[in-house]
Amino acid sequence: MKHQMAKNMVLFSVIGTIVAMIFMASSIIFPHPLLLVLAMSIGQGIAIFALVLYLLAVALDLQSSGGSYVPFEEPPSIEAPPPAEASGPPPGVA
Amino acid sequence: MLSIHTTEQLLKAIALACAVLSILIGIWYIVRRPHLNRVTKSMLLLGLGAFPLIVSLTGNIASFEYTLSRPFCGSCHVMGPYLRDAEDPKSNSLAALHSRNHKFGENSCYTCHADYQMLGAITTKQNGMKHLFKYITEYASTGPDGEGGPAIHLYKPFKSGACMQCHSTTAKRYVEQHADQVEQIRSGEISCIDCHNDIHPLALSRRPGAGKEAAK
Repeated sequence: MKHQMAKNMVLFSVIGTIVAMIFMASSIIFPHPLLLVLAMSIGQGIAIFALVLYLLAVALDLQSSGGSYVPFEEPPSIEAPPPAEASGPPPGVA
Repeated sequence: MLSIHTTEQLLKAIALACAVLSILIGIWYIVRRPHLNRVTKSMLLLGLGAFPLIVSLTGNIASFEYTLSRPFCGSCHVMGPYLRDAEDPKSNSLAALHSRNHKFGENSCYTCHADYQMLGAITTKQNGMKHLFKYITEYASTGPDGEGGPAIHLYKPFKSGACMQCHSTTAKRYVEQHADQVEQIRSGEISCIDCHNDIHPLALSRRPGAGKEAAK
């Protein structure tokens, strides 16, 4: 539950950052006074909010996993059991 | 092709590059939706933390530098006549003469109109915000050069301190030429522009509301 919430928070954070970056980059490319003021106030506000949201999400994720180390690899997928060896009948079978 | 000649351009290039990297990391996350493992978290920390921080820092400095420049001051249409006069190579107004000075000509508006004290840059920027508010509320729907809007005027009397940044009142030639008024000029009783008043002649004659003001 907490893990899913953390993933949603990260998604919102990513979207917020993209909006803020587009806003700030546009003010650098088209430096009109109004755009500059909005980008450097609202844009930076959104970016800071997104970063705080992301850090919260990471804290939540760590809390849900009990602070344990999360491995690099993806969780192992469920595979079919390996086929029985063809060297002979299992022990105890006549 | 993008060419970098000044610090401002370099900062802008860094800011744009970091913004693009941050956006790419964001798109990568949205498209791939990877598991929140250590690599993903590190990538996101770069994309949501480090790169935006660099964009903020470099973008703020580059933007501040740009706000000192004449094109920025002239980007509101009410400043059109002032800008055209300052950039006219044939004009002999004080604004045009100072704008042709290669030492500070690109920032001539800010150099002469910024407040001159320790906190001058801050109070000047506060006034800039006031300008923006006034522009939106009073001049946004006026004519190409702000015709129809209220008359443009300075918030407070122009102080000679701005002139004295370059023009020393102790130079021999200056003292000789201003022998009668030099003490009054230094004390602020007389302003430089009381006599040297050919500053923005074109702009003043065409400023919005000039006719109405003259009729009063």
